[in-house]
Amino acid sequence: MSAISPPPPFPSSTSKTPNKTRNSLSTPSKYKINCELSSSAPQKWTIDCVSSGEPIHIILKPPNSIPMASSSLDSSLKNSKRVCLFHCSEMKDLAHRIASESDAIELRSITWRTFEDGFPNLFISNAQGVRGQHAAFLASFSSPGVIFEQLSVIYALPKLFVSSFTLVLPFFPTGTSERMEDEGDVATAFTLARILSNIPISRGGPTNLVIFDIHALQERFYFGDNILPCFESGIPLLLNRLQQLPDSDNITVAFPDDGAWKRFHKQLQHFPMIVCAKVREGDQRIVRIKEGDPKGRHVVIVDDLVQSGGTLTECQKVLAKHGATRISAYVTHGIFPNKSWERFKHDNGGNPESGMTYFWITDSCPDTVRQVKNKAPFEVLSLAAAIATALQV
Amino acid sequence: MEKPKKKTVLLFYCVETEELARKVAAQSNFIQLQSINWRSFDDGFPNLFINNAHDIRGQHVAFLASFSSTSVIFEQLSVIYALPMLFAASFTVVLPFFPTGSFERMEEEGDVATAFTLARMLSNIPISRGGPTSVVIYDIHALQERFYFGDTVLPLFETGIPLLKQRLHQLPESDKIVVAFPDDGAWKRFHKLLDHFPTIICNKVREGDKRYVRIKEGDPAGCHVVIVDDLIQSGGTLIECQKVLAAHGAAKVSAYVTHGVFPKKSWERFLHKNDETEKAFTHFWITDSCPLTVKSIANKAPFEVLSLAGSIADALQI
Repeated sequence: MSAISPPPPFPSSTSKTPNKTRNSLSTPSKYKINCELSSSAPQKWTIDCVSSGEPIHIILKPPNSIPMASSSLDSSLKNSKRVCLFHCSEMKDLAHRIASESDAIELRSITWRTFEDGFPNLFISNAQGVRGQHAAFLASFSSPGVIFEQLSVIYALPKLFVSSFTLVLPFFPTGTSERMEDEGDVATAFTLARILSNIPISRGGPTNLVIFDIHALQERFYFGDNILPCFESGIPLLLNRLQQLPDSDNITVAFPDDGAWKRFHKQLQHFPMIVCAKVREGDQRIVRIKEGDPKGRHVVIVDDLVQSGGTLTECQKVLAKHGATRISAYVTHGIFPNKSWERFKHDNGGNPESGMTYFWITDSCPDTVRQVKNKAPFEVLSLAAAIATALQV
Repeated sequence: MEKPKKKTVLLFYCVETEELARKVAAQSNFIQLQSINWRSFDDGFPNLFINNAHDIRGQHVAFLASFSSTSVIFEQLSVIYALPMLFAASFTVVLPFFPTGSFERMEEEGDVATAFTLARMLSNIPISRGGPTSVVIYDIHALQERFYFGDTVLPLFETGIPLLKQRLHQLPESDKIVVAFPDDGAWKRFHKLLDHFPTIICNKVREGDKRYVRIKEGDPAGCHVVIVDDLIQSGGTLIECQKVLAAHGAAKVSAYVTHGVFPKKSWERFLHKNDETEKAFTHFWITDSCPLTVKSIANKAPFEVLSLAGSIADALQI
């Protein structure tokens, strides 16, 4: 991975309007990176690129003054525990980013093959080398079909005499669309939590399970006693990104419903807020602004995940109608089934009703990350640093 | 001795076992077919609804499962985990074919036993009012797999061999039948159930780089030899056995496997083609434990499906 140092900060200007400068950096490889620097707040930040023969993803590494890191990322080796990090195929990129965050994290490999009958044929390389080490597995359950093979590894790793086992599952699927309303409704979120609660314990006790922005807050109670769920959030990444924006003092955060407000308002307290709600009008359900005023503001809609994007789009329209000058969105999990991300166009300025200035997602859903690469308005905020920190718990 | 009273059983099933479930229900008035809505959300995850869930309360409940591929496991498991919690009087999962583990070998540290994963998932079925769930499996591949299950489930290991015996007795030459086992593993599994037939045991021996099937014991000359095994994948082993038996004078060769796994349509190589004078296998019996195969081959010669329906209906009364 190549690290590119930022150009020297510009002399600070007393003018209220930030000087925007466009710089083109050409890297030794054939890729070009464009970055915008604000002279009003010279900050040191690096652009990290993942290059493995693929087009560059701009992933912002948060500056050191982040509130979320309980232990500094620069902690010396002897204070951090060495972790052997395994991962599923679809999380390869994120696993590499995590490993590059810290010398204490070492990537390990698994051979993922299938037998003729379609069932998995798996091999954990250098299994003996994991004895007495802290082990972790970075999983991604993007569809039901990939659960069984990853689960087989998850059930096998703790029994290899590891000193502790952590399962990082950035996005906990199921439960986003289902409602337990009638007896007969089957809660697949319960199935998944039960399967994970049954991970064998290791020398280090119950498995540590790291999940980002779990959809239903009650789901935390679905887990049994033999697992230690650790609920993290992607919001600190958003906070960092917002602070870097030239109009960071003109930002208002909007929640598409009360659920989102409940989940996130405490982490976003120092921003003015808008709360939307769906109200019934005859047969239809319409999004309205319940509280707050978007007039003249750059409004950032915040939610934990996005599926078809219908709700976000409706919020966007209402906010634009009420005078928002710019609209952006943040979701931790960009699920976007059936390429539904395509409906989100870029607004270069002046058209908040039909486009977004930014659409931030994290890399919890790797398939989407691959699809939206270099497609404005999308920007990927990587969970790598947050996960590297969580692995030190 | 008074026979225990028959119990009414509500039988649920997955999409691929519908046909077998209907056959099971047809066996007895005490077995009632129920239904589940199997849909999915846009993100691909299951959207499931158990119809008439209230009717389950106080009743014996069963689920006929089939894990033909990894992609159908999660949705069926969700139903399996939900049913016992609806105040059922007892819960039974019938999984005719227990997949995984047919190829894998635990030889080195690092080999991952997916059979263990599956057994663990089944062992974690919630208990119901009737205690631990019963899990009915036919001709499990590795005999040790019975020990993979925890204390919270009651595995019941059944076999399809009685269906074969019944069928063999219907053959005109039932006195000239010899049973052949393709390897020692098959002999261990089945010889006690078939001990009134003369037997042949084959095995694979190494000759340089290659492995050849040889007859270890027994003589096929002039007989109708029936090769018996628990399952078939590509069919390579079976074909080699047939060739060796024919070469040693077998008059006819047939085959029986409980589970016709046949990945990638490997059953095609066994079909009787119309213009062939020589038909390698006279009969090829499989059960309906692998519903996708049964759908594909129906009863194309030499295949004949022996249904587990009667046996399952009996097992549900346990």
